[in-house]
Parts: sequence; C-alpha cells; structure tokens
Amino acid sequence: MTAQGTHGDATPLLRVDDLRISVPGREGPLEVVHGLSFAVDVGRTLGIVGESGSGKSMTSLAVMSLLPPGAAASGSVRLRTQEHPGGEELLSGGTARLRALRGDRMAMVFQDPLSCLNPYYRVGVQIAEAHRAHRGSTRRQARTLAVDVLGRVGIPRPHQRVDDHPYQFSGGMRQRIMIAMALVCEPDLLIADEPTTALDVTVQAQILALLSDLQREFGTGMIYITHDLAVVSQVAEEILVLRGGHPVEHGTAEQIFSDPQQDYTRELLDAVPRIDDPVPARGGTR
Amino acid sequence: MATPVALIAETQSGSERAPVGAAPRRGVLRALLRRPQAALSLACILLLVVMAVFAPVLSSLGGWSPYAFDPQAIDADLGGLPLGPFGGAGARHWFGVEPQSGRDIFARIVTGARVSITIAVLATALTTTIGVLAGMVAGYLGGAADQLISRLMDFLMAFPALIFMIALLSALPAGQRQYLLVGVLAFFGWPYTARIVRGQTLALKARDFVEAARSSGASSSAVLLREILPNLRGTILVLSTMSVPGFIGTEAGLSFLGIGVVPPTPSWGQMIAASVSWYTVDPWYFVIPGLFLFVTVLSFTVLGDHLKSVLDPGGNPS
Amino acid sequence: MTLYLLRRSGAGVLVLFGITLLTFVVFFALSPDPAVTICGKTCTPERIETIRGVLGLDQPFLVQYGDFLRGLFVGRSFGVGENAVQCAAPCLGFSFQTNQPVLQMIAARIPQTVTVAVGAAVLWLLVGVSGGLLGAIKRGTVWDRAAMLTALGGISLPNYFLALLLQYVLVVRLQVLPFPDSSIGLTEDPGGWFGSYLMPWAVLAFGYASLYLRLTRDTVLDTLSENYVRTGRAKGLPRGLLLRRYALRPSMVPVVTLFGMDFAGLLAGALITETVFGINGVGKLAADSITTNDQPVIMAVTLLAALLVVVGNIAVDVFYTLLDPRVRVSQ
Repeated sequence: MTAQGTHGDATPLLRVDDLRISVPGREGPLEVVHGLSFAVDVGRTLGIVGESGSGKSMTSLAVMSLLPPGAAASGSVRLRTQEHPGGEELLSGGTARLRALRGDRMAMVFQDPLSCLNPYYRVGVQIAEAHRAHRGSTRRQARTLAVDVLGRVGIPRPHQRVDDHPYQFSGGMRQRIMIAMALVCEPDLLIADEPTTALDVTVQAQILALLSDLQREFGTGMIYITHDLAVVSQVAEEILVLRGGHPVEHGTAEQIFSDPQQDYTRELLDAVPRIDDPVPARGGTR
Repeated sequence: MATPVALIAETQSGSERAPVGAAPRRGVLRALLRRPQAALSLACILLLVVMAVFAPVLSSLGGWSPYAFDPQAIDADLGGLPLGPFGGAGARHWFGVEPQSGRDIFARIVTGARVSITIAVLATALTTTIGVLAGMVAGYLGGAADQLISRLMDFLMAFPALIFMIALLSALPAGQRQYLLVGVLAFFGWPYTARIVRGQTLALKARDFVEAARSSGASSSAVLLREILPNLRGTILVLSTMSVPGFIGTEAGLSFLGIGVVPPTPSWGQMIAASVSWYTVDPWYFVIPGLFLFVTVLSFTVLGDHLKSVLDPGGNPS
Repeated sequence: MTLYLLRRSGAGVLVLFGITLLTFVVFFALSPDPAVTICGKTCTPERIETIRGVLGLDQPFLVQYGDFLRGLFVGRSFGVGENAVQCAAPCLGFSFQTNQPVLQMIAARIPQTVTVAVGAAVLWLLVGVSGGLLGAIKRGTVWDRAAMLTALGGISLPNYFLALLLQYVLVVRLQVLPFPDSSIGLTEDPGGWFGSYLMPWAVLAFGYASLYLRLTRDTVLDTLSENYVRTGRAKGLPRGLLLRRYALRPSMVPVVTLFGMDFAGLLAGALITETVFGINGVGKLAADSITTNDQPVIMAVTLLAALLVVVGNIAVDVFYTLLDPRVRVSQ
C-alpha cells in the first residue's frame, strides 16, 4: 500500500480515505467494502480491478453519492473543487450541493449502455440535459453542443443522428453516447464502470482509445473499473486490486504487472490470456 | 393480431404480472396467515362462505324465510315503511325488514350471499378451466391453434361486454337465470385468464425441463399436464382469487340493473336496486347489502394482493 | 402508417359485423315476439300481422339482418305503400316504445353522457396518476399507505352503492347539494350545472382513480428501478426534470393504453351511474330500454358501444407507437 506517496503534497483531485460501505442485510447492515484508500490526480487514471462482488461498483457509486437506498458509507471522500481547493467532503454533502457536482464536476459512464439510456428521449436531448441543468444553456445552444460532442466521440453524421433514439444505435455507438453525456460539462473526474464489458473486442479497443484521447484533451482524472486486467493495463497508470471488499494490492501499473506482491494479483494476471499461451484442449469445463 | 395494445397489456406491471412457479401449498398458507391483513381477509371470506353454505340454517335461526312477508313489521299508513329505527332492526328481525314487503333482511342477506358466492365461484371455476386450457394450448402448440385462439380472444375482448351481457340477458327468458349468468360471465371472462396463461406457457416452453421432457418423446398432452400445468399453479391461484371479486361485482351490477338474479331470489345487487326508491327514508335498506358487497369484494382483493406478493417476492410491495 | 390504419380499420369493421350479427342473432332467436309487445293489451291477430309486416319481422333472419345493414349505410323504409316510413342512413330504426327515431333519441342524450364521461375522466386521471406517482416516490410513508388504502376501498366499493351513499349524505342529510338534474344547461346556470354533475363525476372517478393510482404506482416503481434512472441521477438533474422525464414519462405507456380502453368502455360504466343519479344520457336510455325490451334501442346502443371500443383500441394502438419510440409500425 504505497500509492499515497506518489501523489506528493499537492491536493489530489479525489482523495478517498478509509471508505467503508455497508448494505442492508438479512440480520442488519452488512459491510461490503472494508476501508479503501486511494487518490486520483488530474489527467491520470486509476484502475480498480476485481471480480464481481469485490465492491468496485459500490465504491464508484459511493464516490458519486449514488448509493442505493439503505446503503451507507463512512470514511472520507474529498473532491477538489473551485469552492474548496483543499478538497470538499462528499459523504457529508448536502443534497443540493451533491446534485450540483454530479454531472458537472464529476460524471460516470455505466456498463450497459442500452439499459442506461432513457429510451423515450432523443439522444441529443439526453446529452444536452446535464449542460442545460448545470450551465443554463438554451435549447438551441445545447443542441449545437450536443452535435459537437457527438462528433467528438466519433458518431458519424452527428447532425442527423442527434435526433435519433437510443435504440437506433449499435452497442458501441451507445457507449460513445454515454461518454458524450458524461463529458458534456467537461468534468474534472470521470468514473467509468466496466464501460467495455458489454461490447466486443474490436469496439472495446476503439472505446478505450476514445477515452484516452478525451482524457488527454480535457485533462480529466479518471477511475476505470473493470474485472479485466488486460484492459486496465492499457489505460491506467495506477492500479488498485480489490477482493471481497478488501484492498489486496495497490501500486503503479509497472509494479503490478512486473512484480505483483500478492498471490491473488498473480492469479488475476495468470488469468489474462496471452498470445503465447498454449491452446487448451477441446471439451473443457464451462 | 398481436396488437401493441395486447402486448402492452401483457407487460403491464402489477396487476397482470403473475408469478411463475409451483409454490408449496402449506408454505403459502402459513405465509399468508403471518400477514395481519391477509389473515383478516381469509377470516372474512371464511365467514362469508359459512354464511353462504349454511344460509337456510341461519335463516331459520333468525326465524324468517327469505321469502316470507311480515305485514306487522311495516307501517302500511306510511306506504310500507319499516317500523322502528334502523330499518326495523331488532330482536324480531335482526337486520330489519324490506319496505313494503316486510321480508326479513337478515334471511335475504344470507341467502343472497349463497346466491352471489355460488355464481361467482362457479363462474371463476369455469373461466379458469377454459382460460387455462385455451392459454396452454395456444402457448404450447403455437401456429394455427395459437392464431385461432388468439384471434378469438381479441374478438371477445373487443366486445362491449357489459352492454352485450345486458342485451343477451334481457332477451333470454327468466328461467335458470343463475346458470345463464355463470355461462355469460365465463364466456366473456376466459380471454383474460387465457392471455396470461398463454404468456406463462410461452415462457415455460423455453425452459430446460420442458425441452428435456419433449426430447424424451413425451406427447404434447403429457408435457402439458405433467410439466407445464404444475408450474402454473401459482398463476392459477392468483388469477382465480382476483376473478372472484370481479364476478361478484358484475353479478351484483347486473342484478342491480334488473337482469341478473331474478326476484324473488335475493341478491345483494338486487336489494340495492330495490332500495333506490327508499333510500331517502330508509337508508339501512341499501347500506346493509352495500356493506356486505364492499367487505366481500375487499377481502378477496386484499387476499389476492397478498397472494401475489407471497408467490412473487420480486414484485413491488404494496 | 396509413396501411396499418387501413388494416386495423378493416379488422375493426369485421369485429363490428361480428358483434352486430351476434346481437341480432340473440334477439332473433331468443326474444319474445316484439310485435306482440308493441301491440299491447287490446290486440288482434291482424294487428300483430300488420306490425310484423311493417317492421319486417316476418322476413327470414338474413333478410332482416341485411335490411338492418342496408339501413345503416344507405337508409331503408318500413312498411309499404303510402304508409311507408323512410329512414335515412344511418338508420337505427324506431323505438318500440316511443316510435321515435332511435338515432335522434341517442343523439339527444350524447351531450349528457359525454359530460359525465369527460368530467370523470379528467378527475380520475389527475387524482389517480398524481396519487400513484406520489405514492411511488414516497413509498412506505404515511401518504403512500393512506393512498393505497383509499385506492383499495375505491376498487372494492360498488359505484351504485357509493352513489346512493353520497346522495343520501350530501343531498338528503346535509343538504349541501341538490338532486342532480341533467336538464340544466351549462350556459343557463353554471352553478346548478356543476352541482348536478359533481356527484356523478365523483362516483365514477373514485373507482377509476383507485385503479389508476395502483397502476401508476406499480409502473413508476418498476421504472424507478431501471438503470437509466440512475444515469439521470448521475447527471445531477433537478428533481422535477428527473421526475418528469425519468419517472413519469416512461410510466405513461400502460396508463395511456388502459385509459384508451377505459374511456371507450365508459358507456357501460356511465350506465349505472346515470341510472342512479337520474342523468338523462345514453346509459340511462340503455338501462330503460332493457327493462322495456326495446330492441332497436338496445341494438343501437350495443352498436355504438362496440364502435367506441373498436375505435378506442385502434386509437390506443396508434398512440402507443407515438408513445414508445422503440415501437414503430413496421409489422
């Protein structure tokens, strides 16, 4: 657990200390995340890796203060904002303040773009929503912006497509739209929760490239959540490995890949298929 | 004719989403009894059933037959108004008497219970039988059978049922009216059951154990009876329970309009109809059957709601 | 779209044929001879024969049905010679009771029924949908429980019982409202008009509002568990916008669907309400004609009700394609 040192003395964009999350269980609150600490800097990416049930999604929801009803978080989540350059505590934030920050200063991209987009409204409207809500732009201004952003994320013919509904797009395009929605207010922090898991490999690579480009352009600090170490190696400079809600290993990407300290990390690394692996015999177990 | 309307009605949440799966019977009963509302409803229903079954016994306990006139209980000078407060209720007539005829209301209520509940239960049984059969056949066999049955269902559901029922019943002679009512109610009621059962059957057909049974060479009827039907138990239970109050209400409505149960056979709806001319001076005449109707329908509805949530915990709690 | 409409209308017309045919069969096969009823007490066999001739009751079934259809589309005549009576299309015949043209009888009463139906519909939509929405958002709170309990009562209470109860309490006992009088026009006496329709609206709306409250609440609860609601919250959208676009709008589909069918079927619901409150609308006409076995009127009302249901279904289908962008008419 040495990563804190790499952030130096300057206040990081996001600082999480001893985050604990509990959910309602059959016999009372059940702790599912046991004391996580990490930080994210401007322009840098932290990868949070773990299997399902490791608590990685819960962590991201806690940062965005989007935990489901009944779940509770303790510890400290501090976001550097214009009003609070030393870091603003999000876990105890007021509803109005949090709502103002969400979508504007911090944004999230979810895993399954089909179910995460409102099927009843045009794509342009959904992209423009956050901008109109936070920046007060008019419908025309927001629409122009939406067309622009659609182009930026690589949707062809954005002038026409801006009036289409989500079902009219393919999976990869929908994810680009989700990214467009998240970045429309140029947030400081972007959390991507398994954004490419539901997509096939070629599209995956495109989305990853897109995210990297946009990060370089906007200087966004990013948290990339995934179960796939192969993916995270392409995007993250720093990696946090989770297991069952516990932090297992935390270090730079080079450290993790070249010299993993923990057995679990090694297991995850081994699970990543490599081009020089022997082909397994047919008829194996599912 | 799988119209969007039909499709949407099928995916309508709540009332139409019935559970899939065979729930163990004893577990369901115990789960229900643990909920105070459901337990209370069950108690009410039980009471009503007892009342219906033992109606003749109860009438004689009260001392009056539902058809006997009692001229002493009414005031002929006032046009037949019952003597005494509360519509003439007292030791002699527990619930009072009907104006003009002087018939004992208690006897007529319990007999009316028997009439209404019998009709509703029979109609439910018939509707469920036809509906389940049609739904299973349509869902399982598909193809031409499904087309035929589905179109028939669409046609029947497009009927302005109440109006047609009224037209039909008014044209028919008054004899055997109760069996006629059961038939008419079931005739218009089965498509709703069939539609849900068909949807469930379609879902079940795709399940592994059905595939297994079919590939092992079982005939269609065997698969339907042994694999699909048992898994429809929960759905059938909820559908039946929810049908009863609807039929009770419809029968009461028809009787209210004068084409349901024919006098002198009592029916709660009919009693309310008769009370319309008297309600300004004798409100008890309409309040008593009305309350009975209300409590009956309410009990079945509450029971149905709780049954649904017990059998399908994934749904929305009320 | 036009092709779809044509196809659906074609199917609808077939359904109407089927319904009228069935209704005709019912009357033809099952009714006592109406000529006897019309003739009355002092009757002679010759008179009955004359009546039967005029009304065409001596013709075989298919001819009678054919005459009825012909009357609907091009008009027909009753009787022969100088005494023949013309009946222009759409001809719904003449009442056995009053001898008035049925079409006019119905047309005269449509305004009252429409008033009852529209007023109740506005009331029940407002109360039911907003109540259901509030109940879903404030799930489990005292408001939610109270609303659900009331709705439970609403769907269990027979509306004629409620009608009598309200009239007894408000008109007879407390005397805050007058007995409903549907002959009062809106323009002549707005206060009286309103007072007359208030109770019928309330009674009709109570039952439906309860149904819609439960449906809306269930649908909204389902919607709120959708992933895209979480996306909306993640954007930090203001509460009102979130409610409108992410909770209410997606939940509208089953509600609007049901409303289309309910409003069309309201003719039957209005029947009982009109009878109890003495509103002189089409429903009351139907109820009265049932007791007097006035066949042409019953036929006409059945046809009208069926027409409304079929049109309502088609309208709902069309609306549905507008409501849900995922469904476009491509079948």
